[in-house]
Amino acid sequence: MLESSNLEHANRFGATSETILETRNLSKSFGAVQAVRNVNWSVKRGEVCALLGDNGAGKSTLIKLITGAILPSSGEIWVRGSRARITGPSDALNLGIAPVYQDLALIEGRNVIQNMFLGSELTHGPLNLFLDHARMALETTRVLGEIRSRIPSARAVVRKLSGGQRQAVAIARTLIRGGQIIIMDEPTAALGVEQTREVLQLIENLRTQGRTVVLITHNMSQVFQVADQVSVMFRGEMIGTKRVKDTNQEEVISMIVGAKREAMGAA
Amino acid sequence: MREETSAPSVLRPPSTPGSPRVLDFLLENGLYVSTLILIAVFSVSIPVFFTLENAVNILSSAALKGIIAAGFTITLIAGLIDTSILGMAALSTVLTGVLFQQLGWPLWTTMLGVAAAALVMASLNDALVVRAKINSFVATTATSGVFLGVCLALTNGQTITITRPELQTVLLARPLGLPVAIWLMFAVYGAGYVLLNHTRLGSHLYATGANHNAARVNGVPVNRVTHIAFALCALAAALGTVLATARAGSSLLFGTQFLTFDLTEIFTAVLLGGASLFGGSGKIERNLVAVLFLTILANGLQLLQTGTGIWLVLKGAAFVAAIILDVVRQRRQ
Repeated sequence: MLESSNLEHANRFGATSETILETRNLSKSFGAVQAVRNVNWSVKRGEVCALLGDNGAGKSTLIKLITGAILPSSGEIWVRGSRARITGPSDALNLGIAPVYQDLALIEGRNVIQNMFLGSELTHGPLNLFLDHARMALETTRVLGEIRSRIPSARAVVRKLSGGQRQAVAIARTLIRGGQIIIMDEPTAALGVEQTREVLQLIENLRTQGRTVVLITHNMSQVFQVADQVSVMFRGEMIGTKRVKDTNQEEVISMIVGAKREAMGAA
Repeated sequence: MREETSAPSVLRPPSTPGSPRVLDFLLENGLYVSTLILIAVFSVSIPVFFTLENAVNILSSAALKGIIAAGFTITLIAGLIDTSILGMAALSTVLTGVLFQQLGWPLWTTMLGVAAAALVMASLNDALVVRAKINSFVATTATSGVFLGVCLALTNGQTITITRPELQTVLLARPLGLPVAIWLMFAVYGAGYVLLNHTRLGSHLYATGANHNAARVNGVPVNRVTHIAFALCALAAALGTVLATARAGSSLLFGTQFLTFDLTEIFTAVLLGGASLFGGSGKIERNLVAVLFLTILANGLQLLQTGTGIWLVLKGAAFVAAIILDVVRQRRQ
């Protein structure tokens, strides 16, 4: 059942001109443990794709493969219709695949501008020796405006920002670096109601800007709030992908439950 | 969810509601206020304190420790505690004596030799911290002992008196009326200020010290940054020591006892200046003020002839205050 589901999925999504990111028979093993098994999965340009699954389902491993944090055991990753050679995070970033880390990887005591350009600072002057503060400030303000963030000032120290505002900084940083496919791992896990709403709005704004978002989440209602496509993983396999407008929570839950029953039956 | 939000509000000023402003003011400006009060009190109570000659004297004394403290601040910002400045300073003063006085090297090659030795010492610290992944405080305390041991082996514990005049004629010259050491101190702090605030490396030093892992995943070459921080600290320690050696006219090591400064003075200066033992913060210009504060205190007490005991008590108290300030700052954040 699982294999036919994958095939069906590949036929439905694998070869459209809109596909921006695709995996073909992607697998990853850690010793005897196969964390990701023959995953065929694709994401369309300008859409929000939710990735659902229990802990240990393989979501994070799949994302690490796509962002170059780890290398696959076998299989292929295709970006914009071409086979991608991703040997590290910088390769992924060059292809426009940018992760927002779960801990956001922000420097608390530095301001928004300094965080936005950390590791990719703009310079000018002789031998490009000096930081171009003015251009970095302008770019920061521009990108924060683009995603309609609610950060009070580009010069605000990150320590003083709310959880939602921090997410905005981390997201804006991926855009500064040319991110087109933004990968977000449980962005609302540690947030309150208002801040969660703010982050979902940011995701919505990214879609409006034509960016693609891959959203790892446990939260079914969020999937139906912001996603265009929902894919479900179970024990390293992609057990199905649905268009959100063509499905409902019950059907998605039944996919997960069905996979569990099947696994229990096999055992 | 899909409705438009209001216009972006990135231009509004930052708000910091609920912060006790008095404590914030003291944490931010207490050092400046204390320094001004100290100057005022000594000016009133000591007739010779507020004179040009004494000001130059204070700045000269501050220069030697200030240059070393500047390098120490950079490592602290990068999240490293380099206690080997003591051992590096000791080896630098001994090498200056050996190369310049005993082997008769010209002044500039002596200085290059001392700088090269400083870089070798920095590389040893770097290897222990980056490659062996040993805590910097532990690693540099160990290497400091090694450097002092090398000093003892080179000198048999004897102080080397420098009789060749070039060291002092060059390094104790007074261009535009101020000793070279003072010019060099301002140059070091100026360069440090530009480095930390206006270069990519400065940004990387702060980030590496504040959150090593976040810096790494954002593409900051954290190992290279660590290496450079150790190297700058070692070079500053060497420069400060060569100047101090010129001023004293002899190497500054008596047995394994280094004579010009002790570690607590440097720690006090950099912590009073706002750098943190926890890394990632600090402003080098404030560090200069802290060095001046301590030097003014020492100078005033000396002019008042209060004796060494009072100075040691106040120096210890300043050290404790500096650590408390650091902890309070961290808790406030």
